[in-house]
Amino acid sequence: MRGQDDKPAGLSRRGLFLGAAALGGTIATAGQAAETGKVAPDAMPDPDQRRYAFYGTGPQAGIATPPQQHLMAMAFDLTGTDPRALQVLLARWSASIGLMMEGRPVGPAEPDRETATALETGEALGLGPAGLTVTVGLGPRVFSKEMGLAAKAPPHLRPLADLPSDALRPEISGGDLSLQACADDPQVAYHAVRILARIAKRTGAATVRWTQLGFGRASAGAGQETPRNLFGYRDGTRNITTPEQLAQHVWANDGPEWQHGGTYQVMRRIEMHIENWDNAQVSHQNDVFGRHKLTGAPLTGTDEFDTPDFKAKNAQGEPVIPTHAHIRLSAHETNDGIRILRRGYNFTGGLNAVGRLDAGLFFISYQNDPAHFEALQRRLGASDLLNEYISHTGSGLFWVPPAAPKGSYIGAPLFAAV
Amino acid sequence: MNMSSRARRRAVPLLAATAFFAQPALADAPMNNGAAQVAITLTGDNGGACVLDHDSAAAGPITFTVTNESAPAISELELLSDSRILGEKENLAPGLPASSFTVTLDGGDYRIYCPGAVEDTVAFTVTGESKQRAQSAIGDLLDEGTAGYANYVEGMVDAMVTASERLAAKVDAGDVEGAKAAYAQARPFYERIEPDVEGFVLPGTDPTDNSGNLDYLIDMRASNLDPAVGWHGFHAVERDLFEGGEITDETKAHAAELVKNVKMLADLSGGIEYRPEDLANGAAALLEEVQSGKISGEEEAYSHIDLVDFAANIEGAHQAFAFLEPGLKRIDPDVAETIAQRFADVQTMLEDYRDPEALGGYKIYDAELRKSDAVKLSRAIQMLQEPLSRIAEKVATAS
Repeated sequence: MRGQDDKPAGLSRRGLFLGAAALGGTIATAGQAAETGKVAPDAMPDPDQRRYAFYGTGPQAGIATPPQQHLMAMAFDLTGTDPRALQVLLARWSASIGLMMEGRPVGPAEPDRETATALETGEALGLGPAGLTVTVGLGPRVFSKEMGLAAKAPPHLRPLADLPSDALRPEISGGDLSLQACADDPQVAYHAVRILARIAKRTGAATVRWTQLGFGRASAGAGQETPRNLFGYRDGTRNITTPEQLAQHVWANDGPEWQHGGTYQVMRRIEMHIENWDNAQVSHQNDVFGRHKLTGAPLTGTDEFDTPDFKAKNAQGEPVIPTHAHIRLSAHETNDGIRILRRGYNFTGGLNAVGRLDAGLFFISYQNDPAHFEALQRRLGASDLLNEYISHTGSGLFWVPPAAPKGSYIGAPLFAAV
Repeated sequence: MNMSSRARRRAVPLLAATAFFAQPALADAPMNNGAAQVAITLTGDNGGACVLDHDSAAAGPITFTVTNESAPAISELELLSDSRILGEKENLAPGLPASSFTVTLDGGDYRIYCPGAVEDTVAFTVTGESKQRAQSAIGDLLDEGTAGYANYVEGMVDAMVTASERLAAKVDAGDVEGAKAAYAQARPFYERIEPDVEGFVLPGTDPTDNSGNLDYLIDMRASNLDPAVGWHGFHAVERDLFEGGEITDETKAHAAELVKNVKMLADLSGGIEYRPEDLANGAAALLEEVQSGKISGEEEAYSHIDLVDFAANIEGAHQAFAFLEPGLKRIDPDVAETIAQRFADVQTMLEDYRDPEALGGYKIYDAELRKSDAVKLSRAIQMLQEPLSRIAEKVATAS
């Protein structure tokens, strides 16, 4: 079930040598190395030349791939109900993503004919693949009766339930298609989405609904140091990284066989009330998260990776990790073992309408049942201490089909005769 | 549609370049269902290749069946004669089913052009002579279209003269409400044909000097005000009527000057000959006008009748397209149909904004409507812009 998306392809000789020395050179040990945390993909030479494979069997790239530095996400609305239009779009998207992930242009940037308009816009020429991955997701309406694809629907795909504390704005929520482009160079990620949006327009199959630029990865993948969110806290210390965890919690293992290796993608735009947070006492901030700001250690420990002790009491008999601390409410120990893969990014849009910093976390998670995200967010939304400082303003749920083999495209089995 | 600079034409890579193409001489393509059958395969080999199973066929109907096997960078293909496009296929991507097109060809040398392939041009020979000469009609159809469009532009310019005289008469009479209505009625004529009439400068003035630029003198806006030249034309009258709400001597002077300049424009623009790509580029330019000036509400900053201009830009673009459509249908029926459908979609959408009570017949485009609907309007135009932006190339090379 493990995809090739963790394997950086096309390393330079030097890179391959160093990589081989550190990783043992095989996919199988990549996960192992990740668990020990000794190999940081970020430390590999020349990140501009880092490259992941688009085509293959198993999951799409960009999920188990160690998070790159930058994100460009975009959601689209289908313009009609003709499944052939969607088929053409997915095929052209796939072919183009395959080229861009190799750092190649999508056709000539300067065609011979003077009257030609070029598809390739050129702003990423010479930048290298920069670890680009583009992950394609399909929203619930793709599988509607009107599209004629209802029989192909993944078993758990549906609009997300209404959740406590939701303050969703329709214009930055939902969508029928999603693109998650991640790269170590923001211009490479932007270029990819721009070209794909251009193809959507050319085919006429879809129009842009919302978009989000993210910076500074806010989740750690295998082998990466835990990054910090804009509240200054380490985010994702207990994220899942190993092939076993991914197989158990992320990759779909129900539904028809062609869907195996797919997964459900949740995207949430979580605004942070930065000014309020910055005025809060650090001891209160620590209580909100249930961790120490500097080290990331749980309030019951001294090291970031110490297992939180939710039973520990202080001298006054109060829980050391408060009852409504974020770490407690989201822990798998307190959620029937539910775990999700988080792969979010920080964002800022400058100032908001009332002159405060418009910033937050663009939360992306992957799980093999969206009910798992809902269960976690239902608890968090109801009583997380963090709720005083955040608002969920955007939301989307998409099913991410498995990768396509060479010569095919993402979602091709959808269009095969039933 | 810039009249001053006719674009240089540059031919597509010519046959000479493909003489080295080591393709074995093959027999004429086999016949099936009354048409010669040629299979074209796009592969990703050697950076992208466009491979024919037969490089010749007998004159008559020929069906080209295109399969993109593994060429991610090649998404379209054209059949060319000299630099004319006789047929084409788009949206070719690996994994999609094969698609085909049939054309009737005379004996001669043709080329298959696959933009994105390393060797992007492959020779194709037709032997003998066909009885049908359907393809030669494309140029004729396009010529008819450009002549028809020239008549359309002339009609609009004449109507603009009449409408601006009516506006000036209302202004002279001091009738503010009547002048507002006449303003809204006059605007669409200019907005339908703006790309055709915006390039004129008054005799003896430098093209960079706005005081001699007829477009500036007729249609300058607050946002492109040249302080050295000041307020003139439609929007100077608009400002007085809608912001000031009164007619002054200055308003009367502006209206009179507008009539004078519109008449001058009518004189200068008479007898223009258009090329098919002028129509295509003009239609695209009108849509750019919609995006850059109307959706933002910048054009009619005082009267807020931007949707009247919006509809006029669309109508003008649609006319330019309609005059190309018969020829374009022969070149690329798919794209002709797509564009026709998207014009229809935009016009259907505009129906929702009609308001017989409002000036000019469309809802007033105020801040509230802008906030709620600008994105929707912009998206509808984008969907039309994309295919429309590519027809200049098709008709330029086909004519």
